[in-house]
Amino acid sequence: MVDLRIENIKRKEAIIFTVNGKEVSAYKGETLLAALIAAGYKKTKRSPIKGNPRGGLCGMGVCFECIVTVNGVPNIRSCMTEVENNMVVKIDE
Amino acid sequence: MNNPTQSQKYDVVIIGSGFSGIVAADILAKHQLNILMLDENMHVGGQLLRKIPEQLGEYASYNPDYVKKLGFRFVQNVKHQKITIMNRACIMGIYPDKKLLLEVERKQVMEINYNYLVFATGARERYLPFTGWTLPGVYSTGMAQVLMKSSGILPAKSMVIGGSGLFLFSVAYEYLKNKGKAVAVLEQTGMMEKIKMVPALAHQFSKVAEGFKYLSRIYLSGVPVKYSTKIVEARGNGCVEEVVTGKVNSDGRLISGSEKIYKADALAVGYGFVPNIEAPQLAGCDLEYAEDKGGWIVRVNDNLETSVKDIYAAGEITGVGGALKSINEGNITAVSILHKMELMAESDYVKNLARLLKERGHHMQFVHFFNSLYRVPAEALNDIPDETVICRCEDITMGDIRKSVAAGYKTPKGLKTATRVTMGNCQGRTCGPVLYDMLGLLTGQPKQSFGLFNTRPPLKPLSVEALAGFVEKD
Repeated sequence: MVDLRIENIKRKEAIIFTVNGKEVSAYKGETLLAALIAAGYKKTKRSPIKGNPRGGLCGMGVCFECIVTVNGVPNIRSCMTEVENNMVVKIDE
Repeated sequence: MNNPTQSQKYDVVIIGSGFSGIVAADILAKHQLNILMLDENMHVGGQLLRKIPEQLGEYASYNPDYVKKLGFRFVQNVKHQKITIMNRACIMGIYPDKKLLLEVERKQVMEINYNYLVFATGARERYLPFTGWTLPGVYSTGMAQVLMKSSGILPAKSMVIGGSGLFLFSVAYEYLKNKGKAVAVLEQTGMMEKIKMVPALAHQFSKVAEGFKYLSRIYLSGVPVKYSTKIVEARGNGCVEEVVTGKVNSDGRLISGSEKIYKADALAVGYGFVPNIEAPQLAGCDLEYAEDKGGWIVRVNDNLETSVKDIYAAGEITGVGGALKSINEGNITAVSILHKMELMAESDYVKNLARLLKERGHHMQFVHFFNSLYRVPAEALNDIPDETVICRCEDITMGDIRKSVAAGYKTPKGLKTATRVTMGNCQGRTCGPVLYDMLGLLTGQPKQSFGLFNTRPPLKPLSVEALAGFVEKD
């Protein structure tokens, strides 16, 4: 997989979280949306009416296209959430 | 529930911690006022002042321009002053008796009483739908920038950047600097019109310098920069794989046969910015439609007071114009409130306000040119095929909208009733601005004649926890 993390950045501690049961690594201070994109998850949900794949659009809390389930709580905007160690994330298949 | 509704009282409540909010807060706090500044985001600083230095460590090549350096200094100031700062706070309701209801941290509801309220709610990205804009990998230019600037992550290995406005070049610059493969930069409006902008830039030296820095980097890197070129379609199996572009005529309509296909993993799009007027709208402040200021804006007097007594509006919501205008308006708001509270002598007030308003005049001149010259003509919307999704939340297509308008649903309210547009999670913040343009185009009526899509509390979807805590208290 391609590495999207920009060089020359002193990152905070490495952490692990899961997406639909698969372990993914990230760094503290990243938004969950950014960590998902870096791990190759561009799609975050399906549209509620027609079920088409969707991913983050605005990146700043407006569009609700990047909503995922975090630790059992649905409809969390991943762009407005910091990724945390052991976070359990579910996204629409 | 262990979090009953709390009630707090402040002299001044400032909604939004971008440039105008932090400048107003910093000045007011020096007068021992009890101030609450709230923001929906996790950080203080708004969309322009992101947290790289403190959160992600030293970013070797990060060198903010002087306006941002000034901004970061204000962020530090407000953190060290006696200001109550609440992040991750969403407005549930704004009531006539100087009362707000907030949802904080997705779990607690708070009742806030204020003497003065300042809306500094900023702007969001404007969209112009095209076929495939719902595919994962189509990102707003703002999102592309935020990924790089606050999380240190490239949006994709290769990316086309398109739309309209100076911000495209800022994103292309940042992306190239971080070794992203920019495939092309496409500006939908023409190049010659930009030359007319020169007089408006006379008082905007920092913007000229910044623009020059971006353009030189992009040209030196050899990335094609095309004017009068639009995005026709994003294609791919489950996510963006290629982008179809084409030349446009002076009406913004596609010239058939001019299509060109670029292969890329992502497409960043932006068409300028629209003011976040939903909270002032909910508060009952008068709004006005001014295309050359970004669309629907909050009506203010020279003190930046809105039509509702003791409620002020500063920054992008009075006309989209960027950081310098926001700093200026944060200042005006603070001076106006201090004068009203009799904390500033009449002579100082008159002198300060005159100086600030003169400066504001220059910024408004820039606002006018900036929002007019990069405006894509409404006729361009005729190119959108019937099957293209417009309201992403409710999967409503251009065809649905054309049919409803033809059937007589010719106002925002009518269109909403007929199709459910703007009734999804984003509450019309994404498609709403372009729907005004569509209604104008399809009915031939002036946009200000339709009125607005209405807003009602809660302004953003609420968490069940907050709701449960709130209901229990009642």
